[in-house]
Amino acid sequence: MSLANTFYNTLVKKNSVFVATIFGSAFAFEVAFDTTSTKVWDSFNKGKQWKDIKDKYVQ
Amino acid sequence: MAAISRTFASQLVNRSYVNVPASAGALKKAFSISSSSRDEETQAPTLASTKSRSSAGPLNRSLVNAAPNTNYQTRLQHTNTTTIPDFSKYKKDGNNYDSGRAFTYFMVGTTGFLSAAGAKATVTDFLANMSASADVLALAKVEVELASIPEGKNVTIKWRGKPVFIRHRTGDEIQEAEAVNVSELRDPQTDAERVKKPEWLVMLGVCTHLGCVPIGEAGDFGGWYCPCHGSHYDISGRIRQGPAPLNLEVPEYSFTEDKLIVG
Repeated sequence: MSLANTFYNTLVKKNSVFVATIFGSAFAFEVAFDTTSTKVWDSFNKGKQWKDIKDKYVQ
Repeated sequence: MAAISRTFASQLVNRSYVNVPASAGALKKAFSISSSSRDEETQAPTLASTKSRSSAGPLNRSLVNAAPNTNYQTRLQHTNTTTIPDFSKYKKDGNNYDSGRAFTYFMVGTTGFLSAAGAKATVTDFLANMSASADVLALAKVEVELASIPEGKNVTIKWRGKPVFIRHRTGDEIQEAEAVNVSELRDPQTDAERVKKPEWLVMLGVCTHLGCVPIGEAGDFGGWYCPCHGSHYDISGRIRQGPAPLNLEVPEYSFTEDKLIVG
């Protein structure tokens, strides 16, 4: 209840703050999403990518 | 034409609650019906003739249409609007509106930032698709070993389909290039503007007149000479005599410790 009120009063009440929050969250979400998906991809393809086998070919 | 449009306009705005023929008695009757209560509802038979033929425009709404002559009952639209149905079943308990409002705005904001991130990713993907790929960028550069060019010698390399002159200039040539009075040149440029390191002169080997390739170590000014129409360039590649309007062009280049990278 108080959490809902705090959320409303701090972030939503002024439209400028609301919009700024939305764009800020979009940026943060994008960074987090990219990092996470890259990690998942790398762990799924472990040992198959060039950066994993580079040591064998490049001195 | 004006008469037609006027008629049409008047029909558009012609809203009447009761369609009536234009007679005094009928008007009186209609007024009494539309403004009074149910007491008179049994006495409305004259309205049978009220369906008007001509005044029915597209927005001409009537709340009372022509009725049968017998057993007439006026159906009034605006009755009992003051009785409000019981909505308590659908309302939240007590004054607990804040959490619902916060949840609604939270969902709006979440939708907003997710779609903003998605839109940005879409645009980025399209733009990245259009930019040059790594192999194209690698082909657009040329590396030259500087140690392979002795002092006082020219080297011509091919870069993006065009010749590039690289000259390892001697100290005398550097002094000569810097001693030129810039104000009497056709395309005034100091030697320092045209080179990054004074001993290395790098420029496109394309005559600025009509695009021939000039000959090195030739001409009256100790630099380059274009055989096509006789343009003379000095040891800094500046036009000194002949039809060419501009100095030889200097491409983008940079030095690593022992290499020259053009592009």
